[in-house]
Amino acid sequence: MKAVKQNLYPSVVEAIMLPRVIRLSGNLYGAAFVLMKLLPASFILDRARYAKLVRPGSVVIETTSGTFGLALAMICNLRGYRLILVSDPAIDSPLQRRLEDLSARVEIVRSPSPEGGFQRARLERMSELQAEYPDHFWPAQYDNPHNPGAYAMLTALLTETIGQIDCVVGPVGSGGSMCGTTDYLRLLLPKLKAVGVDTHGSVLFGQPDGKRLLRGLGNSLMPKNVKHSSFDEIHWVSAAEGFAATRVLHREHSLFMGPTSGAAYLVSKWWAEKNPDATVVVLLPDEGYRYQDTVYDDEWLHDNNLLLESLPTEPRPVEHPLSAGPEWSCINWNRREYEQVVGSLFRGQAIHK
Amino acid sequence: MDEELTTDILMLEQLSLTQHLQPERRGRLGIGYGTATAHHGEIFQGVVEGAGGRLHRSLVSLPCHIFRSQAIFFPAQNCKVTVEPAWKVKSCRAAQLALARHNLDKWGGQLQVSSNIPLRWGLGSSTSDVTATILAVGDAFGRKFNEKEIASLAVKAEIASDSLMFGQRTVLFAHREGLVLEDLGDTIPELEILGFNTDLTGIGIDTMSFRPARYSWWEVEAFKPLLGLLRRAIRTQDPYLIGQVASASASINQKYLPKPRFDCLKAIVERVGAIGLQVAHSGTTVGLLFDPNDARTQGGVQRAQAMIAEMGFSQSCHFYTGHEGG
Repeated sequence: MKAVKQNLYPSVVEAIMLPRVIRLSGNLYGAAFVLMKLLPASFILDRARYAKLVRPGSVVIETTSGTFGLALAMICNLRGYRLILVSDPAIDSPLQRRLEDLSARVEIVRSPSPEGGFQRARLERMSELQAEYPDHFWPAQYDNPHNPGAYAMLTALLTETIGQIDCVVGPVGSGGSMCGTTDYLRLLLPKLKAVGVDTHGSVLFGQPDGKRLLRGLGNSLMPKNVKHSSFDEIHWVSAAEGFAATRVLHREHSLFMGPTSGAAYLVSKWWAEKNPDATVVVLLPDEGYRYQDTVYDDEWLHDNNLLLESLPTEPRPVEHPLSAGPEWSCINWNRREYEQVVGSLFRGQAIHK
Repeated sequence: MDEELTTDILMLEQLSLTQHLQPERRGRLGIGYGTATAHHGEIFQGVVEGAGGRLHRSLVSLPCHIFRSQAIFFPAQNCKVTVEPAWKVKSCRAAQLALARHNLDKWGGQLQVSSNIPLRWGLGSSTSDVTATILAVGDAFGRKFNEKEIASLAVKAEIASDSLMFGQRTVLFAHREGLVLEDLGDTIPELEILGFNTDLTGIGIDTMSFRPARYSWWEVEAFKPLLGLLRRAIRTQDPYLIGQVASASASINQKYLPKPRFDCLKAIVERVGAIGLQVAHSGTTVGLLFDPNDARTQGGVQRAQAMIAEMGFSQSCHFYTGHEGG
């Protein structure tokens, strides 16, 4: 092995899109991303470019209030695509300013839709914009197979640096990272366990839609990219637990990550301790800077009644998703389809009407 | 071709040949000898992104030392190259190309090629013949071909080649370009292989007429983690990881050149404690991979032999990799 690997990158996107792989304990490895969504954003836009769906000057439209929008904005800015992002008042102003600095146009939807809330209202506004710009490209991270398809580079890094992997733990929002990573790794490692981390009030694994304070994982709508039969185990982590675990990750490992990383770390640490002979990888999707005034501020946590005295040491096992909560709970999903676990087909809203 | 990639690669076959060149024969014309081993299909075959993002069809061959080709070349001036047996036209072409490479166009001669490699099973019989031929021509004139030249001549002589001219080094080889994409840096770890032919018709596969796989975008991506694990397997000399790479490569390629009763073969891997299933990606050969350092392997091999016989496949070989000869 070379002592120093020196790479020259064509842009910041290539420079930071892959994570650093860090050994967190004897059998637990963290894949710590600066901005994980750069992987699907760049893969989706690359495929679109090969298919001649985008070129410099093209309009790209997406609905997001999170890190996927930031990743798109970075790439569109570099490639000269005109990006329009539809968001809602939940977007924080530093992010909005950053997106606009990257020459994205940010459209804020002011009132929620009666059914499907802000997420539905955003999709409706996006439809209007798509009609207005008929030649636009829609990355559609929730339904586009190039989202999960983007994670081959991650799995190449993991297999080369770690080798045998027995379990992958990670947050689930669009389904892209966990289902994509699992699909690629299982070609080599068919027995690989996939442990998905969701939060209460997210419809992804059978909970009723509700208000969620832990953002960046979970969903009010059902993305096509969530392939339920990929998962062996599902955990629901509350906001307070996820935030506390984010701080534990920081204090124990000096790893300054966002709250979805914290929630995933909580589950992975427990899983790795329970299975000392298994090699576990946890996906840590973004850094902590966006959350300095919230997750990393005890006063804010206290004022919002989210400051935990201590973290639970283990999840409460449940037989049905409706029994999960309000604290850390888990279910043996056993690679079943949604209706096999929940007992009925998903009755909420898919992304498409 | 990329000079840097190939300069430090050992060419063991050639080294041994140089050793039995007698001092008095050096620089003089004489009878040339060459020999080359076969392979047992591939550990990996797929599409890999090279420098600049260009995709290359590439492979990593599994060397099989029990099958070999030998070539003897009797040079003569102002005549054509003739080959025995006459149907080994690729070897004949290789000899002509090798002579031309050294500006020996006035030379021809008689070439005799013999081999114990079964044909049309995907064991690289023609590449072995061609490599042995090129070495024999070089030997006759006391001239060395490096492995890069052999690879390039072999691809010219027969369209697609394998990576065995690189001796004990494992290389990721663009077999239709004669180009080393990556030197993986070491030998394939110690493996015990039980090989058999899944072709019950006796016809086999004509490598020349076989249409290359048209992989989907997802499959092109899926080769990335395979290559990642392969690099680690070679670096750590881990036979189990090699088994996983070989099985995954076989699975992806199953739809392009199907092996009969593939699911049944995969089940045998589990049942006998093998560490992987390995195939000839342009032939009919399949190998069960075992860890030779596992005490349970001997029993597993015996049970596997019985199961293969029950399926009607004939066992063709039982051999080892990872150390000289085997």
